Formats: sequence, structure tokens, C-alpha cells
Amino acid sequence: MTSNIYDRRRVNGPARSVEPVYIDAIEPMAFPEGLRNDGRSLDQLRPIYIKTGLLAAQQTFSSTAPSGSAYYEQGKIRVSCAIYGPRQGRKSNPRIGSFDCDFQYAPFSCSWKKRSHIRGADEKETAQILEQAIAPAIRLEAYPKACIDAYVTVIESDGKFATISAAINCISAALADAGIELYDTVAACSMSSDSSRWVADCSQLEEDASSCSQLVAYMPSADEITYLLQNGKSTLDRTEQAVQACTNSCTRVYAVISRYLQSSMEQPGI
Amino acid sequence: MADVTDEKQQQQVAFAMHTFERIHHVEFQRRFLTQETRHDGREFTQFRPTHVVKGAISTAQGSATVRIGNTTVVCGIKAEVGEPDVNSPDQGYLVANVELPPMCSARFRPGAPSEEAQIASEHIHRLFNGTAGNKGVVDLKTLCIEEGLAVWSLSADIVCLKYDGNILDASIVALMAALEDLGLPSAQLDPATGVVSADRTKAVPLVLNKRLFPATFSLVDDAYLVADADDAEEQMATASLLVVLDASNGGALANMWKRGAGRVSSQTIHKCIDCAAQRMEALIKTL
Repeated sequence: MTSNIYDRRRVNGPARSVEPVYIDAIEPMAFPEGLRNDGRSLDQLRPIYIKTGLLAAQQTFSSTAPSGSAYYEQGKIRVSCAIYGPRQGRKSNPRIGSFDCDFQYAPFSCSWKKRSHIRGADEKETAQILEQAIAPAIRLEAYPKACIDAYVTVIESDGKFATISAAINCISAALADAGIELYDTVAACSMSSDSSRWVADCSQLEEDASSCSQLVAYMPSADEITYLLQNGKSTLDRTEQAVQACTNSCTRVYAVISRYLQSSMEQPGI
Repeated sequence: MADVTDEKQQQQVAFAMHTFERIHHVEFQRRFLTQETRHDGREFTQFRPTHVVKGAISTAQGSATVRIGNTTVVCGIKAEVGEPDVNSPDQGYLVANVELPPMCSARFRPGAPSEEAQIASEHIHRLFNGTAGNKGVVDLKTLCIEEGLAVWSLSADIVCLKYDGNILDASIVALMAALEDLGLPSAQLDPATGVVSADRTKAVPLVLNKRLFPATFSLVDDAYLVADADDAEEQMATASLLVVLDASNGGALANMWKRGAGRVSSQTIHKCIDCAAQRMEALIKTL
């Protein structure tokens, strides 16, 4: 879509703008010697870094600071999440609390066309995905009439499904930082296939060249999948294999998140 | 035994202090301001430690992350191609926007941009673009690819990750750093198809007319002029003064903006400009 939405509450640029055609492309899904462009093997995940509590109030007891926050990096993907709550919500259910998620890409975060400031349909869809993936893990019956809000901003994105799974992991870490009661930490992972092999945790270039992508959000302690999404064509056998492989990757991601959360508890001032 | 009671006493004192701050936050701040200091221990004219990191975001053509104390902003500039305005066929666009998402502070609700975000966007956009007689930071003519047909449109988006006051300073420093970091791909327009192709390996940095350094001063409680107010102090401020100096023009005054109903004398303004010059020297050394 080349025309830019006119937003009267922001400074607007020209009515229409496009990305130029970049003439410096690389071949993504060819794997010489079984290694990918960045040197990873086909089932290797990108290195993960998590820092919780960055948005917390430092010296003063501030009423505007979030209850929990996390900054998550996976390769080039950077996601930041803030959790507000439990606080009074608009929909006040006397039996059970509610979990709401607001997801946005920063305008400079995607390698394709600059995103508009107004929430697009895919951002709203992703917010729903995040809610559905995380809500089963929260003990919402412990927070009646209250509302837990998660605000996720993607600062840099590299692979659509990988970014969504990064957002899920980020929210999990932030919820733990906020001290919200959880049944388990949800870990998510994605895979893509180019009709012959499944490749874990694909970057944007690899995903664009693939024919099928899959996202799994998993609770390892309960051995339950909270969310499964597949985009593209695949046979039943290959899908089952992929779900199994993705679930194993989720367990590895879970171990990483747990380790970061543990070390953040041990050093409270940092 | 003595240690335990000492610790308990310390905890009680800390708790009492936090409660007092929460309930009477104006009185709490006054306790410090009347003693010529601030609640975080700074002097009235002292700025918070400032850190700038350029080029962290690979999806943006230019980017910078700035931290002033606890206020953290990320500026990313994406370059796209568009048609120029009919009245200025050889000029490109620089569109600056400040975003204060609900993530950075509970003060901001999700939805349309708050008043504060709109005001900041408008002011920074005008500051960097200049007006008819006054050149902006970027010479828009250098953004022209083919006159009348294709120009670069730079969308500079400043996203606040953590809000602790003084968003204007952080945004101006971030946008300045991101512009310095920007590498504009060399572009060519194919006249037959009208398609612009660009080569990212041959990126050219922008030529900047000005090098801006901001400094914000706030009149807290209508009596105390402090530099670089944080969120708690901003809530109590009756007026604020933004001074922007241009280092490439020997520290000349590039922009001044006084907001709020509080009265500020002209001697105070002169003091602020001197203080801003010192801030500029300090920033130049750290960057």
C-alpha cells in the first residue's frame, strides 16, 4: 500500500511514499555446508538476552511506573514490554480478572515499508494472539475485578513469526518480574519450511523465501501448548514433525528465560 | 540484636519516607528545594548523566538511543521515496514525530497521541525543518533524487521507552544523533518505469546545516529554577524554558521556547542561556 494514512494528530509526510527497490539482495534459503547465512545450523536458535526491571522506578516510589517490565533480544529482534496491574479495569468481572495486551511495531522496526502510527489490522491480530497465548498461564481467578495490561513495543523486528514468539517470551518474563501469579512461564518458538526442510527461528529474509511458517507457544511444566499457528501449505506428517520440533525448541527457550529470571532475582539492585 | 532493630528502624524510616512522598509529593519536594538541593541529590543547575548510542537498529537507515537519567528514547529514521510537493519540486521531506506510548509511563493511555506527544512532535518538526527564511538542520534540497519526480522522505520517529521528564531534550539529542548516523543509499530513477532503485552498500551521510544541543529549565513551585527536571519535578513546574544552541555556529541561539504561566525574568533567561552553553560543552565532550 503506497498511500500514507493522514493522521491529524501527528506530523504527516507526503501522501504517498514507497520503498526504493534495493539492488543488494542475498540468497537466503540456500544452505551451503548445512549452515545458514549467519552461521547457525538449521535447528539452532538465535542468542537470547533478557533484562527485567529496566522500566521500574529507580529511587522514588512512583505511581506511574509499571509493575513489571522486560527487554528481550533474540538476534536482531528487540522487544520491550511493560506490565501494568493488577489495576482497576473497565470490564470488571467479579469472578475473574482479565488480561489485555496492546501490541505495536515502532515505525522504524520493520524491514518492509515504514509502518503507520495507527494500529494496523495485523497489530491488532497479533495482540489477540498474545492474549490467547499468555492468558492460560495466568492465575486470573486470583485477581477478581482487576485488569492486567501488557504493552508491547517492537523496536526492531527480524522475521514476523519470530518477532511474535519473541513478544510472547518477553511478556512471560515481564509478568514474572511483576510478580503476577502464573501457572507456568510460556515459551514460544517459530519454524519455517521451504517445502523440504524445517528451519528453526528464521530471520526475515529466510521467512520471505519459505512457503510455510509455524508458531508454537508452550508451557513446559504443564506440557500444554497454549497457541499454535501455521501459515502456508504443509502435509500432515510434516506438520506433526514440526510441532514436535518446535515444542522441543520451546523447552530450550524456557530454560533460557528461567535462567535469566533466576539471575535477576539474585541481583536485586541491577 | 542491635543490627536487627537498626535494620527494622531503617526500613520503617524508608517506608515512612515513601508514604510521605506518595501522599504529600509537593511537600516532599519542597523539603529538598528549600535546602537548595533536589530529591535525587543534584544541584539546581546539574543535568542528569546522558548516554547516546548510535546505529543500533539495523532496519532503520539511521538510529540513536539516548538516555538522560531514567528517560530513555529511541529515534529511528526510515528513508522512503515520494513525489515532491508541487510548490517545492526539488525538496525532500523530513517528518519528525514523538511517540509517548503507554509503556513508558502510566500517565499515557493507549489510543490517540496525548497532548504532550502532539506538542513535542510539532515543535521538534518545526525546529528541524526551519521556516521559509530560516534553514532547517537538513538542507531538503540534498534529499532530491530527480527534480519534480522523486525525492527522499525521511520519517524520523522518536519512541519513548521510559519516561522520567524532559522528553524534549532527549528527543532533540536523539534526532540529532540519528541524523548524524543516517546513511542515505545512493538512488537512481529509471525514467522508463518510474521505479527508483537504491544501493545500500553505497550510503552517503547527510550534510547537516546545524548541530543542535538542547537544555530545558523548569520553574518548580513558582520559585525554584532547576535544570533537567524529572517527572516528579515536572508535575510541580509552573513554567519551563527550552534553550537550543547551535554548535556549528559558535553556540548561537537556535531556538528558545518558554511555556507555562509562571513568570521568568530576563536575568533568569540570560542565566539559562549561559547554563545551556555549559551543557553544550559537556555534551560535546561526551559524544
